[in-house]
Amino acid sequence: MNTLMEVQNISKQYKTKKVLDNISFSIYGEEIVALVGKNGSGKSTLLKIIGGIIDSDSGAVTRHVQSLKIGYVPEITPSHVLFTPEEYLFHMGKISGIPRKPLQEKIDQLLEIFNMLEARSTRITHFSKGMKQKIMIMQAMLEETHLLILDEPLSGLDPRAQNELEKTLLSLKEKGYSILLTCHETKLLENLVDRILLIEGSQVKQLESFSEASNQNNQIVFEFPSHKSLDSVLSFIQINQMRTLNNGNQELTVTVKSRDTDKALLALLQHEASIKELMPLNSKKEQFHTHF
Amino acid sequence: MMSLLHYQFSNYIRTYKYLPPFFIFILCTVVNYAFVPNPILDSYSFTSTLLFLLMGWFTVTIFHAEDEGQKVITILHAKGQNVYFVTLYLICIVIGFCLSCVSVLYPIIIGAFGERPSLWHIILGFLAHFSLSILAIALSAIFTRELVKNRQNSWWGVLSILIISLAIASLKSVILQVKGLLWLLPPVHLSLEMMSSDDSINVIPAGFYWQFIWIFIYSILVIWLYFFILNRKKKM
Ligand SMILES: Nc1ncnc2c1ncn2[C@@H]1O[C@H](COP(=O)(O)OP(=O)(O)OP(=O)(O)O)[C@@H](O)[C@H]1O
Ligand SMILES: [Mg+2]
Repeated sequence: MNTLMEVQNISKQYKTKKVLDNISFSIYGEEIVALVGKNGSGKSTLLKIIGGIIDSDSGAVTRHVQSLKIGYVPEITPSHVLFTPEEYLFHMGKISGIPRKPLQEKIDQLLEIFNMLEARSTRITHFSKGMKQKIMIMQAMLEETHLLILDEPLSGLDPRAQNELEKTLLSLKEKGYSILLTCHETKLLENLVDRILLIEGSQVKQLESFSEASNQNNQIVFEFPSHKSLDSVLSFIQINQMRTLNNGNQELTVTVKSRDTDKALLALLQHEASIKELMPLNSKKEQFHTHF
Repeated sequence: MMSLLHYQFSNYIRTYKYLPPFFIFILCTVVNYAFVPNPILDSYSFTSTLLFLLMGWFTVTIFHAEDEGQKVITILHAKGQNVYFVTLYLICIVIGFCLSCVSVLYPIIIGAFGERPSLWHIILGFLAHFSLSILAIALSAIFTRELVKNRQNSWWGVLSILIISLAIASLKSVILQVKGLLWLLPPVHLSLEMMSSDDSINVIPAGFYWQFIWIFIYSILVIWLYFFILNRKKKM
């Protein structure tokens, strides 16, 4: 993976309140990174520093790609935009200094990606929150961008709008964009995000994402003749519980990684074990939810 | 810069917030000249004071025309906040210029004056209107949302500074007792005094030009102060 951008030892203090303390992490190409944390933990502050809206007190944001362009979508969605999407995007593009012709092409292309072709000439004031949010993402993409910074893009949207926006974001990732977003809804992170960074006590920690199969475990309960040996499967299972049944067989409850489950089952069956129960364990997810 | 200007202007037009001050301006101008004949400089003196107050109204609505969240985005596209606020000032100045022209030319066109105004009357009238417009813009902008967070305070601030500036004209004898103070206060009184000259003047005294120049310099200093405070507050 190629590194797009590196955040190095960033600190930020508002008056006497230290919000960010010596934070460092990197963003890679074609990935979606979520920044999570409690209200007031400094998520927006960090995004503003990366987006160049405010300055940090110390530290640097190093761009590893030549002329890396960052598109920034603020936390507060403007509600009184008195233009249609087409007019609005055209104005914003012109202000950025994009010539008329490529700008018009870009706008058409964006309207299509975001599925907004029908609404192109309705005033934004009349839009739903989800549509406004899309327009805000589109304006950030007018110039050739590599990294999109979205501050709570999904908040305030109903599940359907969230779903749709999520799909759009995934399609952007496929098109080669990287996305750094903040989010409070953990459910959404599951399907969308490659990596999760947690801000806590002005520090950043990387959480392992539960979306990766390797982090998920399954629980298997099986019956097993006591005279047989389990050695060949023991390498990838972890025994939680073992008891002897009346018929002399053993009943075992074991934990196995998702990716090893098929292998374990096959080995167990070959050793004349009888499977009673198989169910997914989401311990990581349970741990994860305690962060909110 | 041109596209930013175009955007800001279209946005302002769509807010319709210019309508109340604009109608008051039209109404007062028409009513003021409803009866003929009128004295020239006296009438100009009145309409320039009116324009001074209304330009405060225009300035606040122009500076507050864009959605606050959108402002951040627009500044990002414009790649700098100074150019953003310069365009707002330019829009104010253009409006001030147009209304100054209307104020000066309307009575001439409908023939509302007792005698034919000379070129000197027209130049003096225009300078009085335009200089007071610029002064009102400069003073009012200080109270807009970048420097004064509370909307209520913006309006009270603008109203008080404009009225105080006008009141200085009549309190001049008191203020003169503190040496140098008069130079610090907004020089509205200069224009009002010049406009109280007799209509029979047939040449503009050189001192008048200097007084107008001082009004413009004073406005420029106040606008500079705005940018100075703005850039110090920036990037908090
Ligand atoms: N301009 C400012 N001046 C002073 N303090 C500020 C300023 N902006 C933010 N703060 C403080 O910095 C802290 C972090 O704010 P920030 O907006 O980054 O939090 P957040 O994680 O985005 O919260 P939320 O989840 O509510 O969006 C907060 O305690 C806030 O009060
Ligand atoms: Mg925030």
